[in-house]
Amino acid sequence: MEIHDRQADGVTILSLRGSIDAMTAPKITEFIQGQVSRGNIKLVADFSGVDYTSSAGLRVLLGAIKETRAQGGDLRLTGVQPDVLKVLNLSGFTNILKMFDTADAAVASYS
Amino acid sequence: MVTKRDKPRIALVIGSGSVKCAAAIGLKKVLEREHIDVDMVVGCSGGAIYASLIALGWSVERATESTLRMWTREVTAKRSTRGILQLTLPWVFKFDESFGLIDDRLINRRLHDGYGNAIFADTLIPLFVTATDFYSGEQVVLSEGRIEDAVRASISIPYIFPPQKLNGRFLIDGYQSDPLPIGVAIKEGADIIIAMGFESPYQEHVTSLMRYNFQIASMTSNNLLKTNYAFHNLAHHSEIIPIIPEFKHRIKLFDTDKLPYVIEEGEHAAEQQLPFIKSLLGK
Amino acid sequence: MNTKKRIALVIGSGGIKCAAAAGLWRVLQEEGIVVENVVGCSGGSMYAALIANRVDVKVMEEWSKTLWTSDIMQGYTENLKASKDGSLRFTERSGLVDDSALNRKLREVYGEWKFSDMKMPFKVVATDLLSGEKVTLADGGVFDAIRASLAIPIIFPPWEVNERLLIDGAASDPLPIDVAIQDGADIIIAMGFTLDYRARFRSMTAVQEQLNSIYMNNILNSTYAFYNLAHHAEIFPVIPEFDSTISMFDVDKIPSVIEQGEQAARMQLPHIKRLLENV
Repeated sequence: MEIHDRQADGVTILSLRGSIDAMTAPKITEFIQGQVSRGNIKLVADFSGVDYTSSAGLRVLLGAIKETRAQGGDLRLTGVQPDVLKVLNLSGFTNILKMFDTADAAVASYS
Repeated sequence: MVTKRDKPRIALVIGSGSVKCAAAIGLKKVLEREHIDVDMVVGCSGGAIYASLIALGWSVERATESTLRMWTREVTAKRSTRGILQLTLPWVFKFDESFGLIDDRLINRRLHDGYGNAIFADTLIPLFVTATDFYSGEQVVLSEGRIEDAVRASISIPYIFPPQKLNGRFLIDGYQSDPLPIGVAIKEGADIIIAMGFESPYQEHVTSLMRYNFQIASMTSNNLLKTNYAFHNLAHHSEIIPIIPEFKHRIKLFDTDKLPYVIEEGEHAAEQQLPFIKSLLGK
Repeated sequence: MNTKKRIALVIGSGGIKCAAAAGLWRVLQEEGIVVENVVGCSGGSMYAALIANRVDVKVMEEWSKTLWTSDIMQGYTENLKASKDGSLRFTERSGLVDDSALNRKLREVYGEWKFSDMKMPFKVVATDLLSGEKVTLADGGVFDAIRASLAIPIIFPPWEVNERLLIDGAASDPLPIDVAIQDGADIIIAMGFTLDYRARFRSMTAVQEQLNSIYMNNILNSTYAFYNLAHHAEIFPVIPEFDSTISMFDVDKIPSVIEQGEQAARMQLPHIKRLLENV
């Protein structure tokens, strides 16, 4: 799992590459927590490089999103690939997370 | 856990439950008395009517009065000639998905009179109304355009009212996908979610095929309510406060004469959760 | 292979599509993945039972072809007509189908099986017709449990077990992963099926079917979503996709249904193996 971050209009965009599962999820959580502790609570996760999300991985990711939300922030998704989208649908994540077609639209949603 | 923001965002979610949804007026009464401001309202099916009245800032009296005017037995009294012909002679009068047994012109007119071209942008607090896409089965969240159209879509009771065509989608009753759409409030950034929901009553005796069908519909709807609630409860970062009014008498679809009783039970159920809501708000 | 992680298999409701479980079972056997307990719902309970007794995949296939034939629907058309004109009195014990053929066929396979004699722990989920509650069956005769779990509302008469009138498990939980969670499973492989949606509606029955599919698919999603968050370890969803609509009696399509089940299982296989190697 590779994670890169960049800023755009006061929003932090995280680009993730690889699989989100029990083994990689702690790294993502740690990364998100690091952002939140620096006051970066408006997050966009670019999922275009995410090819697999496991059940335990999603659970851990949701934990990080909940912490962000408790600080008044949010994590919004973009670039979700079809196979991953199926799992996000089945797991109810599309019901509780905002998703956008482009990173720009996701960033703009915060203003 | 309350958020670290100074002021948590409060959402009101009102689930499906036909006339029982008027209990939301009782809930609103209690919140007003305690000066608890709501930041967004979400409604499904019958709940969409009350969610929209609350969002428009109507007084308790006006909301009650408008329910009595809008929801009378006449709205389902006139059978749809086309619907009946479609049902009896499907090969002559082409049966299609626009089917509904009841002529919906009266309910449409009543909704129009009630909302008078009000649009979502006119509401004092953000409003979200849920319906279900008839082709894909997915929940559809409406937050733009005329409120009467969204409410009409959300109350498209299967078999009774024809589905509502809106923005190229064919929409039916919101309860088919989620009878208590808490997910919308989570997605829209609410912290404290006050969720008023209603279980469908079970048949005491199954004595006909129709009653059997009702029993199965209640069962699936209640199971959907419970499992969605269970999911949202784990998925949310803050508190969800369920308010489930209990009714000693069975409230039927057009029991508007029981409206004062329904509102009272809503008030009563809200009072029970009030101490906890106040403690969350530091009041 | 690590034996510390307990693996459970859950086979959800899906009528004839549940034959895909035979394909999943084949993959798990070939890969030496040891399943410790099995849960089934509705059509899935038939295959869950066969897996729990380690029945050969070939036998499963043959048996599927003999079960899913139209004689299990005997009386349906006549009774439907009679229920419409009022000459058939419908009560909570009724169904539109004469279930004698279904019962005979199920008894041929499961008639003598008892839960206590199964080669692996096995449970079946049904729904209480009067209260709507989910009921987990794990005692007594396997036939009774499967027959109850298969009782599609309106179509098949409910089945009485321990003085409760039971119907299709799908009405409360089409993919009962929680039973496996309660029984202490770590890794849960859950095979579920979505109901097909229609594009054309030429009759009231078509509208009814669509509304039922919407309900069922939403219940499947919401229960899965909850279990996904409630479980402590991995759940691997195996959801076969079919190119064409599989109707209730498409016995000709059974080999391809099994094939699809195998393919869907193979898609999750690398992830399952990776997890087993890393614990």
